[in-house]
This record gives sequence, structure tokens and C-alpha cells, in this order.
Amino acid sequence: MSVLEVRDLAIRFGGLQALQGLNLEVNEYEIVGLIGPNGAGKTTAFNCITGFYQPNTGSVSYRGRDVTKAPPHVKAAMGFGRTFQNVGMVKSATAIDNLKTAQHAKAGYDVLSGLVGTSLTSRRERELTAKADAILDLLGLQHIRDKRVGGQSYGTLKLLELGCALATDPDILLLDEPTSGMGPDESDELGDRLLTLRREFALTMLVIEHHVPLVLRVCDHVYVLNFGRLLAEGKPSVIQTHPEVVAAYLGGEAPEALEQTQETEEDAELDRLTGQAAQHHDNPSIAAPELVEPEPSGPARRRRAAAASAAAGSAEERLRPKKRAPRKRPATTEEDESA
Amino acid sequence: MSVVEERADAPAAEQGQAPRTGRQFGPIRWVPRLMVMGALAYVFLYRIPQDDGGAAAIAADACIYAIVGISLNILIGHTGQLSLGHNGFFGIGAFAAAYSLTVRDVPFALTFVIAGLVGALFALVMGLVALRITGLYLALITLVFALTLEESLFEVEWLTNAGGGQPADRPEWLIDDANFFYFCLAFLVVAVYIDYRLLASKTGRALLALKENERVAEAFGINVTAFKLIAFVLSGTLAGVAGALLAYRIGLVTASGLGFNLALTFVLMTVVGGLGSRLGVVLGASLFASLSFLLEETWMHSVQEFLVGLASFGSEGAKANLEQYAVGFLGALGLLLTIVQFPGGIGQQFRAFFDWTFGKPFDVHALLHPQDDGPGAVEGSSVRA
Amino acid sequence: MSAVLLTAPQQMQPLALEFVVPVVSGLIQGSVYGLLGLGLVLLYKSGRIFNFAQAEIGTFSALFAAFADQGTGPFPDLPVPVAILIGLLTGVGLGLLVERVVIRPLFSAPKVTVVVATAGVLLLLVALGGFLSGPEPRSAVQIFEGDFLETSSLRVTDTGALVVVVLAVLAVLSALFFSRTRTGTAIIAVSQEPTATRLVGISVERTSALTWGIAGLLGAIAGILLSGTVGVVFPGSLTFIALVPAFTAAVLGGVTALPGAFVGGVVVGMIESFAQTNIPKDVLPGSGKVVLFVALLAVLLLRPAGLLGKET
Repeated sequence: MSVLEVRDLAIRFGGLQALQGLNLEVNEYEIVGLIGPNGAGKTTAFNCITGFYQPNTGSVSYRGRDVTKAPPHVKAAMGFGRTFQNVGMVKSATAIDNLKTAQHAKAGYDVLSGLVGTSLTSRRERELTAKADAILDLLGLQHIRDKRVGGQSYGTLKLLELGCALATDPDILLLDEPTSGMGPDESDELGDRLLTLRREFALTMLVIEHHVPLVLRVCDHVYVLNFGRLLAEGKPSVIQTHPEVVAAYLGGEAPEALEQTQETEEDAELDRLTGQAAQHHDNPSIAAPELVEPEPSGPARRRRAAAASAAAGSAEERLRPKKRAPRKRPATTEEDESA
Repeated sequence: MSVVEERADAPAAEQGQAPRTGRQFGPIRWVPRLMVMGALAYVFLYRIPQDDGGAAAIAADACIYAIVGISLNILIGHTGQLSLGHNGFFGIGAFAAAYSLTVRDVPFALTFVIAGLVGALFALVMGLVALRITGLYLALITLVFALTLEESLFEVEWLTNAGGGQPADRPEWLIDDANFFYFCLAFLVVAVYIDYRLLASKTGRALLALKENERVAEAFGINVTAFKLIAFVLSGTLAGVAGALLAYRIGLVTASGLGFNLALTFVLMTVVGGLGSRLGVVLGASLFASLSFLLEETWMHSVQEFLVGLASFGSEGAKANLEQYAVGFLGALGLLLTIVQFPGGIGQQFRAFFDWTFGKPFDVHALLHPQDDGPGAVEGSSVRA
Repeated sequence: MSAVLLTAPQQMQPLALEFVVPVVSGLIQGSVYGLLGLGLVLLYKSGRIFNFAQAEIGTFSALFAAFADQGTGPFPDLPVPVAILIGLLTGVGLGLLVERVVIRPLFSAPKVTVVVATAGVLLLLVALGGFLSGPEPRSAVQIFEGDFLETSSLRVTDTGALVVVVLAVLAVLSALFFSRTRTGTAIIAVSQEPTATRLVGISVERTSALTWGIAGLLGAIAGILLSGTVGVVFPGSLTFIALVPAFTAAVLGGVTALPGAFVGGVVVGMIESFAQTNIPKDVLPGSGKVVLFVALLAVLLLRPAGLLGKET
């Protein structure tokens, strides 16, 4: 029996059909990848599966039980652990408190005995702290134990968020872009970590990921979404050469993803500026960025123009195969066999 | 099944129960602290209650306000729900206690249970509203709710003794103001303990999580709906019980004095005390409860007289006006200064001293840099919309 | 309205009165609320702030106008138009001062904090007003002394009629201000996208100061007119009389739509006056408030954007 089974899932927001006829299946002990261009509906699918959205039609089954209508907190208690695209944690609380908060459903005492302060409560609280500490040790984050989460770097946050998802004692882990904000080395490390976690916790995972080498390396099976529909599925090695996927997805986006590993200086500068502008938006005391955009050099300009036209172009244009030099096959491909 | 599970079973002492609290146990270090504690105990447990100038009654007020402060802090500080209608829960508790004692002959002890239940019930209704309406709109709704209670329910004939006020006589053993102060203090201690347990258990963590981000809270398995309601019910219970104490404190419950001004005072004292800070809320509430007494009856009176004399240029009319509005002026100024300049509130300023008294080293840094001092301090300014 | 009443046939009088009296008194009272609500809507629309001090800015302005009118305090005995001008300037000055001292330092603070701060401003203004004027009611400046309309059962003062007219004119003017003028659009832009607005060269600080200045002016107009209809003014008087109904009016009408304050105010005034005339006090005391609370709750639950507001 599969751990997670999604049948004919469809959801519509106003005039936008965000998902249509989505079928997917995650078996015990599998790491399944969910990929697709931006706006393909991956996060929407996550939100339907974890109960944050109610799909218009279709069903979500967990170990044979229909759980389509169950609200998110019930699903969390059931064994759905999830992370968010833009880090979901209690930012004003410390790392250890976040890990304890995440164990809410498994606290093992009720509200009233918590307020009275029974011996059971204090024993369970000690156990919760111990488990939180164990997760910090496991992820090598003991040094931020009593620091507030808000001030940490994005990569650290992503890792701690993974820890929080683990603390909910999940059966199936749904990770939304776990490597976003991480450099290539950190992403590789995360790949190792996911494989280790699966081995040690007997976890099943569904992963949204843009970082192609990671997908090729850790996933047993890959689903490709485009415009809310399933475009293809199969083994990563098959997907990689699937003509439609290459056309729709790899043609438009994947080279970008690969090129991230050789990010140019202008790119870094641009990222810094947009990041600063975003921070300024949230907190005006941070200075707004100086808007002196460096004149992009030849190749970068061409590439951005291509990306922009791909983003702005019609569906037909996006599906049309792009003429590009054949991609180098990443060296890590063979490793997914060992998983 | 897993590494984490196994490690969780290991003795807690190995698992990060290392001495992080920084407590220093040594007999000599405790001498000055014990002296401070002794002095505080003398002032608060003997000097004030036995004062013959009426300080005991004011101290009882301070305890009652402090309970309301803790109740309000649960909603605003921990859960991020701005309630401008706490005078409603408080007032309905006062009326419920007085009515059940005087009209229904309910035993004295039971009136507190009834007041708490009624407060909880009304708060539950507001909580249900808060599930749909949030932020500023909720603040507005709670305000209108309390105003409506004040003008309608608090004027109903059977409840208010035909508008003459519902009497609430204390039993024999509580007639002495000093005893009544100890009685109120006992309630305050229980309220402080409940607030402490709240934050030390999963409930408090759930509230903080849902205050900051409901989606994250849900992903952590927290039933946001249920815990919001729990916060409202808990807060309403405490406010209702505090209302019952007020009924016995003043002996006659009327609608006047339970209005919008009181709601503002409650929010004011909680924010000035320092949202999220238990100590601060208690201190802020006590300050607001006793401010006019302090300005009238203690050494502060001569200071006030001096300043008023300076500001009024000898005009008798101006002097009277200044004296009459001094309390309101100081309260409002305190609130604005707290919000704009010292978001940590009074609690922040006293925190270092308090921690030292109970064994930690004196932390000058915490005094000077409030924003560095733990999550509670930052919460001071961040009531969520 | 008045024309209808005057030409009403004599035999219809009892029935018409039952209906007309609450309508007329509701209209005037509601315009009073709407006038105050206009400033509240302006501040909500431009910065998502509920300004609890709005009514008290009005009281303060009315107090100063009364000082100038009666020649108390620092003022010589001044003619009524000058006194009113002084009152209006007081309102603008207060608006600017509050913005500079309280609102601007809290630009990045959560909105609810800002709202609690405006409640602090309210209390501070009550205390300062008390320092200057004392608790005793002071007779307010009257723009007109006469009666606009007087029958055996209904009396509409000139000031009452003026309130209705001023509210209608101001509601239309301020709606035009937001849709037609550059400054108006700049205010909306700042409220929705501060960073982007800054990037195209609009000063967020100046826009905020401008908004509060206008809000102060609206508050002063409301304050002077309202105290005129009541007859007296004392510290806290307008807050006590009109703040909460004005909030309700603003929310009912749709807190982002300026004409909404007009509609909301009139609706609130009529609900209150109908409930008070038709539900006796011994059945349900404070029936006006109860019905209003229920109406507010219903609107917020069913149509959160208000009667005229746009769903966003």
C-alpha cells in the first residue's frame, strides 16, 4: 500500500485552474521529486495534500485512508511533516522552543494538566527538551540552541525548519524547496542529509526542488508539473531525457538552475540588491538599495533576455523546444541507483 | 524506531540540562539577595497591609488590576489578539458575583466560580467572533461589545438592583482590609502561577506560534481554532474572577466605573508594564491602580504640589485642573513613552533587578539594551495585526 | 427632507411623525458620526490606522475655538469666524504634531501598536484639555444661532442642518481628492506600496504628514460643528459622545470608501434612533447600542469590506 496517494486532484482560484487531474503516488521509503517551472502548481499541490487548501475535486489518501477533508493540524498529528517555501518557523522564539513547539501533537499531556503542572507534565517536558536537543545535535545546530530564530542565516533557517518538521515525528515528509537560499556545497550536503534521514528514520519523502543535480541524485521517482497538469513521471534518468519535459521544463529553466552554480558577479550583485529592497520593504530602517544597475556583460544580458521572453511568452512558445547546446550530464547521476 | 527516540529516553541530565540559567549557588552571594527579599516581604506583607492610611485597600486594588493585567496579557501578549473590551468580562464577573451572592444566596466561595464561568462564557463568544474577524476590526468589535454590555446588560433591572447597584458584602473574616488584601494576593499568586505554567507548557508555545504565523502553527499540529478559544476562555475566566474580587472590594457594583475608560486603563497598564512580561504586567497594573493614591497620600504628593505650583503660575483654578488631570496625564505619557521609546515596558527596566534577586548575576546589558533580552522583550512592541 | 415634512398633508401627521422624527434626528445624529468617520476613513485608507484620538482632536479644536470666542486664556475676545479659524488651525497643528511625534517613529511597528499609541494620544489630549479648561462644560462656538425648521414635534437647528450639508460636501470632495488629484493618488500609493512609491520620488514622510494634517482639519471641522449641535464642550466630550458610533459608521460604510462614511454615519444614526424610539428602556436598556453591535457584527461577518467598500 502506498503511503500517499493523490487521485484526480483539481483546484481553481477564481479564473485560474491551478491544478487539474493531478495523480501521484508515494510509496513506503521512497523519495519522490515534484518538479516543474515556476507557477506550475507544485506548492499548491503541497497545500492540498497537507490540508491548507481544500481541493475542488479529487482525493488524498494516506495509507489507504481518505484524508482529503482533514485540516492541516490533524494531518500534522497523523504524520504529515512539512516545510514551507519561505521558511515556516516561529521567528521570535529560540531554536529549542521551535523544536518543542513542533512536537505539540506528541506532547503527551493535556492543556489542563499543563496548567496545573502535574508530574507527568514535567516529565514529558523534559523528554520534549531532550528530543529537541537530539535533533539539534543531529543537524549540528547546537550552537544556536538558545538564540532567536529570526536572526539566523537563510541556510541555517532552512536546516532548522527541516529539524522542526522532523520534530513533528513525521511518517511522510513534504519538503518545499529545501535547498532554496543554499549554495551548491550546502545543497550537496543536504542531499546526503536527506538520504541519511531516510535511512535512520525510515522516512518517506515528497520533495519540491529546483536544484536539478539534487533531484537526479536523491529521488527514486519524479513527477513533472506544468500549468497545473502532470506532464510526465518516471525515474529521474528517464525524465531527464523525456522530450516533452526537456521542451517545457529543462528547456526553459533547468539551464538556469545549472548556471546558478557558476553565478556571475552581476547576478550576485543583483540578488544582493533585490534582497536588500525586500528587507527594506519589511523594515524601513534598513536603507533602500542604491539603484545603479551594473550594465550586464554580453552573455548574461542575452541569457536574461531569453529567460524574460520565456517567462512572458505564451504557452505555445514555452513548450517549443529551445535550441541549446546539449547539457552535460552531471557526474552525480549514477548515485541515485545506490539509494 | 529512530535515533531521536532513543536519545529521548536517555536521562535528562545529559540532555542539555547543563547549567545555562547561570544561577550562582553560594551562601555568601545570597546574603544581599535575602536582605532585599526580606525588605520586600516586610513592605508588601506587613508595612502596606497594616498601614492606617488606607494603603491596604489600594494594595487590594493593585492585586485585582494585576490579575486583569495577566488576563489581558494572555490575549494581547501571548496570543496577539487585541481586546479593548476587557472591562466587559471584568464587569460581568463583578455583577455575576454580587448578584449570585446577594439575590441568589450562593455561598461566598462559589460566587468566584460563577464569576469565572460567566467571564469565560462571554469571552468564548468574543473568541468565536475572533475566529472570523481579526486585527483592528477585532479590536473595534471588542470595544463595541464592552460598550454595549455597559449600556444594556449593566443597566438591566434585576441584575443591577433597579440601577441602584448590586451589593456584595464580604464575609466577616474579610471585612478587615488587610485580610482582604492577603485574600486578593492569594488570587494573584494563583494567576501568576497559571501564567507561568501556561508559558512553560505546550499551550503557551502553541499560542506564541499561532500569534506569529497561523499556517506554521497548523503545520506543527496545533489546532489554531481550539487554542485561540482556549486563550479567550482562560483570559475571560481570570478577568471574571478579578471582577468578583472588585465586587467585594467596593461592596456595591454599578455600571459607572466599568466603562470605556476602564478598558483603556487595562490596555494601558498592560502595555506600559510590558507585553509578554509577567513581572512587568504585574508592576504596571499595580502602578496604575495605585497612582492616584500615591500622588495624594505619599511623599509624591509634595513633588506633585511643587511641580503643579510651578506650572500654574499661582492661579488657583489652573492648580485644581492640573491636580485633577495629573493621573491621566502621567498614564498617557507613560504609554506613549513605552510604545515609542521603551517597547519593553516597566518589566524590561526591572528585569535585571528581579533576576538578580532570584540568583542570577546582575545583567547591566539587559538594562541598557532591552532588544537583546530574550523573546519576551521584543514582543513588547509587537502586538500583531 | 424638510420640504417633504412641510408639505405633508395634515391628516397623515401621526403616522408620518412616527417615521419622520427618527429619520430626521437619525440623519442629523448620523451626519455627526459620519463627519468624524470621514477623518477615520482617511487615516485608515492611507495607513491602515484606526485613530482613537480623532474625536479628541476635534474636542481640542472646539475647546480652542471656544477659548478664542470667549476671550479666555491667552486669547482676546475674538469674533466668531476668527475663533473658528483658530479652532481649525489647532486641529491641523495637532494632526501634524501627532504624526511627527507618535506616528512617524512607529512607521515599521505593527499596526495594532500604532492604534494603542493613538489611544494614548487620546488620553493625553484629555489630560491636556483638562489642564487648560478644567472638567466643567464650556459653551461651544455657535456658527448660527437660529432654527432651520421648527414644528410642534420637530426642531432642526441651523447647526444641525449645516452638519448634514457639510458632511455631504466633504464626503464628495474627499472622494474627488483621492480619485482626481496627484496628491490624493500619492497618498493611496504610499499606503499600498511604500517602497515603490519612494522609488518614483514621492516622500513617504511628507505624504504621511499631509494626511495627518488633513485628518486634523477634518477632526477640527467635526469637533466645532458637533460641539455646536451639543451646545457645550469639555475634555473628552466628543470621544464620549461620538467616537465609537463614528468607528461603527466608518466600518459599516466600508472603511476604505470615503462616501462610505456618509452612508455609514446615516445608517448608524437611523438604527440608533429607531431602536431607541421603538424598544422601551425597561425591555432592553441601551437598545440602540445592542442593535448597532449586532449590525456591526453582521456586516463584518458577512461583508467585511463594508457596505460601499471594495472587496480586495
